Amino acid sequence: MKKILSRGVGAVVLALGVAAPLLAAAASKSTPAEPAALPVVHATLSSPPHVPPPTGRKQPAKVIVELEVVEKVMPISEGVSYTFWTFGGTVPGSFIRVRQGDTVEFHLKNHPRSKMPHNIDLHGVTGPGGGAASSFTAPGHESQFTFKALNEGIYVYHCATAPVGMHVANGMYGLILVEPPEGLPKVDHEYYVMQGDFYTTGKYREKGLQPFDMDKAIDERPTYVLFNGAEGALTGDKAMSAKVGETVRLYVGNGGPNLVSSFHVIGAIFDQVRFEGGTAVQKNVQTTLIPAGGAAIVTFTARVPGSYVLVDHSIFRAFNKGALAILKVDGQEDKRIYSGKELDAVYLGDRSQPNLESVSVATQAAAAGTLTVQDQVNAGKSLFAGTCSVCHQADGAGLPGVFPPLAKSDFLAADVARAMRAVLHGLNGKVTVNGHEYDSVMPPMTQLNDDEVANILTYVLNSWGNPGGRVASDDVKKQRAIAPAPAKPAH
Amino acid sequence: MNAITFDRRTLLLGGLAFALAPGARAAALPGESIYHLSATLVDQNGQRFELASRRGQPLLASMFYTSCQMVCPMIIETIHATLKALPRADAAAMRVLLVSFDPARDTVPVLAQTAAARGCDARWTLARADEPTARAIAAVLGIQYRRLDSGEFNHSSVIELIDGEGRIAAKTAKLGAVDAPFLKAIRRAREAAA
Amino acid sequence: MRRLHALGRATALAVALAAATMAATMAAATSASTAVAYRTVEVGRFESVLPQGNVPTASAPVDVAPFALREAPVTVAEFAAFVAAHPEWRRDRVPVVFAERRRYLSDWRAPLVPDAPPHSPVVNVSWYAARAYCASEGARLPTWLEWEAAAAADETRRDARADPAWRARILAWYERPTPDPLPDVGGAPNAWGVRDLHGLVWEWVDDFNALFIAGDSRTQGDPDLLRFCGAGAINIVDRDSYAVLMRIALLSSLDAADGTPNLGFRCAKSL
Repeated sequence: MKKILSRGVGAVVLALGVAAPLLAAAASKSTPAEPAALPVVHATLSSPPHVPPPTGRKQPAKVIVELEVVEKVMPISEGVSYTFWTFGGTVPGSFIRVRQGDTVEFHLKNHPRSKMPHNIDLHGVTGPGGGAASSFTAPGHESQFTFKALNEGIYVYHCATAPVGMHVANGMYGLILVEPPEGLPKVDHEYYVMQGDFYTTGKYREKGLQPFDMDKAIDERPTYVLFNGAEGALTGDKAMSAKVGETVRLYVGNGGPNLVSSFHVIGAIFDQVRFEGGTAVQKNVQTTLIPAGGAAIVTFTARVPGSYVLVDHSIFRAFNKGALAILKVDGQEDKRIYSGKELDAVYLGDRSQPNLESVSVATQAAAAGTLTVQDQVNAGKSLFAGTCSVCHQADGAGLPGVFPPLAKSDFLAADVARAMRAVLHGLNGKVTVNGHEYDSVMPPMTQLNDDEVANILTYVLNSWGNPGGRVASDDVKKQRAIAPAPAKPAH
Repeated sequence: MNAITFDRRTLLLGGLAFALAPGARAAALPGESIYHLSATLVDQNGQRFELASRRGQPLLASMFYTSCQMVCPMIIETIHATLKALPRADAAAMRVLLVSFDPARDTVPVLAQTAAARGCDARWTLARADEPTARAIAAVLGIQYRRLDSGEFNHSSVIELIDGEGRIAAKTAKLGAVDAPFLKAIRRAREAAA
Repeated sequence: MRRLHALGRATALAVALAAATMAATMAAATSASTAVAYRTVEVGRFESVLPQGNVPTASAPVDVAPFALREAPVTVAEFAAFVAAHPEWRRDRVPVVFAERRRYLSDWRAPLVPDAPPHSPVVNVSWYAARAYCASEGARLPTWLEWEAAAAADETRRDARADPAWRARILAWYERPTPDPLPDVGGAPNAWGVRDLHGLVWEWVDDFNALFIAGDSRTQGDPDLLRFCGAGAINIVDRDSYAVLMRIALLSSLDAADGTPNLGFRCAKSL
C-alpha cells in the first residue's frame, strides 16, 4: 500500500513555481563589497538637445541609470521616414550625467516590441567591452551591470551588438558626461548635439519609409549627415537659443558610424575647446575635429545677435546631406564687433571673384543709358553667386525651415519694394513664404551699391518661375532712404 | 477481491489528484530547480541514474568532454583546488557532477579512465547522456557548447554550485585559482543542507 | 464493505469519464498533428556561416543529412491544443526553470485561452516548451544547421544567399518593429515548400546554446581562451552574411527558459 502511495505521489510533482526575478546570466552571484553609506541617486536623463542639470554633488554616490531601447519609425527629413533604433526613444539617445567616482548601476531594458537584441558600450566604462559583454539584452528583457566612473570627461555610448555598424547607423548612440569632482564652471546654457551619418537605399530626400542600405554603409557613402538624427532637428522653432552676452557650452558628439566631423559654428569662434573631450583645453578655435565615436566640449560667449549655423565643415555634408543646426542669439547688436557684412567670408570656399565682365558691361551700359534687362540679369547672376546663393542656394531653393526660397516666391512677387528693403536693411522675424514659416535673421547687405542691388533683384525676378520685371537703380535708392524698422525682438 | 482492487485504485488516484502526501519528500521542488528536468545519465561505473537523484545535497556541476586539451583539465583542477580549500567535513560531503557533451567518444570506459587519471575519487561522477539529454542539461545549467565537424567542441567553461534543492546557487568562470566568493557560497549551501 | 464498494464504483465512473475526455482530446490533438505538413529538405553539402572546422575564420562545408521540416511555424491554435492536452505546460503550472514566468504565454487571456489570432505563430514560448511540443508531434526542434540550410532558399532557388536581394529582403524585415497582432502563418513557400522561414517570427533551434557569440562582436579576434574553450567564441566566416548573423545574435541572447513576443518555433524530423 505504502509503495503504491509513494509511487503515485512520485508520479506527480506539484510545482509551486515561485516567480524568481531573472538577472542577466553574466551577473555572478558574488557582488563587490559596497563602501559604507553611499547615497543612492536615480540619474536624471534628458532628451536631446537638453542636458540634465549639474549633479551638484561633492561626494560619490551610487547612481541608478535606467535606459530603454526602443525601435521606432521617425521622420529623418520632410516626407522621409526611417526605422531608428534608439536609446530612450531619441537619436541621439538620452544624455547621462554622473560624477567622477560614482558607482553606476546600469539597467538596460529592451522594449518587448523590439525585433533585435541590443546592448550598450559606454566609452567611459573601464571594463570588458565597456559593458557590452554584460548587457546583451533580448526583446522584452532587462540587463544590469555596475561600473565605477573612474575618469572624468565626455564619452560616447553606443550599441555594440553584431553587426555593430548597423546598430550605430540606425541611431544607437549618445553621450555620458562624467563631471570632474569639483563640477564644471557655470554657464548660461548647455546643449547636446550629436552628429551621425545615415545610409538609405533611396536618394537624399527621396520620400517614403527608407530602409537602411548596408552596402552604402560599408562603402562609407552616406545619404544623410545630420545633427540629432533628422533634418531640421535643430532649426526653425527647434533651434537652440541664447541671448547676447550669455555663455554657451555645447557637448558635441559624433556617433558615426563612419565619418569624422569638422565641427564649426558659422559666425562664432570657440573660446574653449576640450578637443576629443579630453582634459586639455584649446583656445580660440574655428573648427574642431570630432572623431567618429568621439566627442568634444566647446564653450563660447554669444556676443552678436543672429542665427549661428552649426555645420560639419566638410561642407557638402551641410548643404547637400543636412549637417546643419541653428543657434539663435537674440539681443542688442554691437556694430563694433559685427557691422553686418557677409555672414562668413571664409565660408565662400574657393569661389573666386565674381565674373567682373558682366558687371562692367552693365555698369557701362547704365552710364550710357542703354542698360537692358538682359544686361541686368547677367550682372545680377554673377553678383548673386557667392553672396545670396550662400543661403538662398544657387537655384533659389533656400533651405527648408531655415532660409526662405526665392524660386517662385509669393513673398517676393507680392511686394518688390519690400524685397529691396530686405536686401538693404536686412530682415528679422517671422515671414511666410510659399506657405511655410521662416524665422531667421537676414543681415543687411550693406556692401552692395544701388546698381548691384537692382541687378541682383532683376536677376531673381527673372529666374526660377518668378514673375519677371526689372528693378531700377533709382528704385533702390528710394528704398535705401527709408529708415529700417527696428529689429523686432524674437520670442 | 473487487473491493480491494477498487480501494487500491481509489487510493492511487487519490494520490494523483492530491500531489502532496505524507511519507514522500518533505517539500515540493522549487520552481527554479534543475531537478525538474527528466534526465537519465550513466556514470563512469556504468550505473544509470536520474539527474533528480542528486537532490538533497549541494553539488558542484559542470560540463566537459574528455578529449578537451586545455580548459576541461583546468575545470577539473579548479574543482580539486576548491574542494581542498574547504574545511574537511564540507569537502568530504561535497559531490561533483561532470556531464559530457560528447557521448559518442566519452563511453563508460573512457570516463572511468579519465576519472582515474585525474584523481577523481568517489565524490565525483563523470557521466554521459544521449545528445538531446546533454543539450537539455546544458540549457538548464546555462552552459553553451558547439560540436565542430572535427569532433572538437567550442564550449563555455563554468563551475556551478547547485544547492540541495536543485537551484543554481553560484557560478564561477574563474579557472586555475579558487574563487573566494564561490567558496563562501559553497560553505553557506553546506550549512543550509546540514 | 458494501459502502466502500459503492464508493469505489462511483469514483471509478468519474475517473473513467475524465480519462475518456482526456483520451478524446489527445486523439484530437494527435489527429490534428498528423495532418500537419512536413517538407523534405535534402541539402547535401552546405557551407554554413558558422565555422564548422577548426579554423574559426575559414569555411568548412559539412554534410547535412536529409530531414523533414514543418511547413509552417506552430500556430497559436496548435499550441493551445497542446497545452490543454499537457497541462503541465500551462503557464500557471510549469516550473520557472522551464519557462520564464513573466514571458511564457504572457499574452494569453487565461492559461488555456490565447488572445492572438489562432493561425498566427505562437510566441512567448520557451525552448523547453517548444521541445515538448515537438516531442508530442513525434518530432524535435531543427538544429541550427538544418534551419540555416532550409532558410538559404528563396521561392525558386535552393540556395539564394549569393543574391543581395535575398539579403536585403531579410534585413528589411529586421528593421520593422514587431506588429501586433502577428499575421497568420502561410507565406509563400520557398524552393523546399517551406513557408515563413523569413519575415514572420524568429524561431528556436535545438542547439540554440551552440550559437554563443561574445555579446560584443568586436572581440572576434581576441578569444578569451579560458572563457570559451576552442578558439574563442563564434567567429562568422562570411562577414557579408549579416542577415544570418543577426538571427544568431538574437538566439544567442536568450536563455532556454526565455521567450520573446516575436520568437516562435517549428519542428523537424530525422529521415
